[in-house]
Amino acid sequence: MILAKNSCVACEITMWSIRCTLALAALILMLSVANALFCAFAVDETDVRSSIAATEENIVVCYRAIADADEAGATTTALLAALNEAGELLSRADLAYKMGDFDSALDFANQSQERLNGFVAQAVVLRETAVQQRYWDFMVYVVGSIVGTVVVVVGGFAVWFFLKRRYEKAGRVV
Amino acid sequence: MSLGEYRVLFLVVTGILALVVVSPALSRLLVLPRTEFFTELWILGPNRMAEDYPFNISRNHNYNVLLGIGNHLGYCGYYLVEVKFRNLAQSAPDSFNRTPSSLPSLFNITAFVADEGVWELPLTFSFDYGYNETLLQVELHSLTLNDIALDLGNDTITWDSGKKEFSGSLFFELWIYDRTNGSFQYHERFVSLRLNITSS
Repeated sequence: MILAKNSCVACEITMWSIRCTLALAALILMLSVANALFCAFAVDETDVRSSIAATEENIVVCYRAIADADEAGATTTALLAALNEAGELLSRADLAYKMGDFDSALDFANQSQERLNGFVAQAVVLRETAVQQRYWDFMVYVVGSIVGTVVVVVGGFAVWFFLKRRYEKAGRVV
Repeated sequence: MSLGEYRVLFLVVTGILALVVVSPALSRLLVLPRTEFFTELWILGPNRMAEDYPFNISRNHNYNVLLGIGNHLGYCGYYLVEVKFRNLAQSAPDSFNRTPSSLPSLFNITAFVADEGVWELPLTFSFDYGYNETLLQVELHSLTLNDIALDLGNDTITWDSGKKEFSGSLFFELWIYDRTNGSFQYHERFVSLRLNITSS
């Protein structure tokens, strides 16, 4: 009787230890999954700071490119609008970073970078086009105009001397 | 007509023709050089006029103004507008010493403006605050500027018995990117809105 009771207690203890082991294993598994998810989605403050700094540098590079294009006389309205958008997003990224919202900060910094894709290349094309345009403008309106004036003056004198000679030969105006 | 008269007529006609032909070149060469290089900064009321500026402020009520920059520097400008709020006891930008306020910026607005270009930004702002009747002071919680919530850190405005108002100032300081130094410098310009924070 006592033996049967003892074996039943031993069986219960075994069952209880198995349940405990299973619960512990489940808990460890859940914690590992949670940790893995957290590691996968958590944003590191240093990464965000460096992302914002990279965006700031990129904006300065783009600004220098568009300033050169503007100086060459290019129409920069569309590119300036894109740069202003990128600047606004960078300001938002800075603000989110200061408020400790690193996810939003990174998102805004990335959006800002996206706006600047291919920006420098476009600015260089605009600048080169403007330089060529300015060259032709100068050739047509300044050089062409001065050459035209010289032609008019010299031609005028040539015609005058021609008519004068005929007048003197004929003794009257032709 | 004598030969002399014909000569005068011919000279006049040739001269006029030469002037017409040379005029495109003259219009490009005879341009007075720019001598003044500066930036304009302005703030206008909701109707794009220098009037009807918001003054009496109610809690969480939206107010509209227009912030503008005009660039006459001779090159494309990279500007930063620092948005700040102060009660009358706090540091203000100084027009005479040309120094900015020492208060931290609540938000930075960036603006890229082409030479001889104009940049304008409509601003909608509202204040969230509490009114402490016992201490006769307003406790500012946040400023919402173009849907961006900015923390005012529970700054307080005490009752100004002389003016009979809770006076505060929302101001915008202009900074410019210096291409040589690679940093922003205070551009010695600011515009401000004096506000009366009402208890309603």
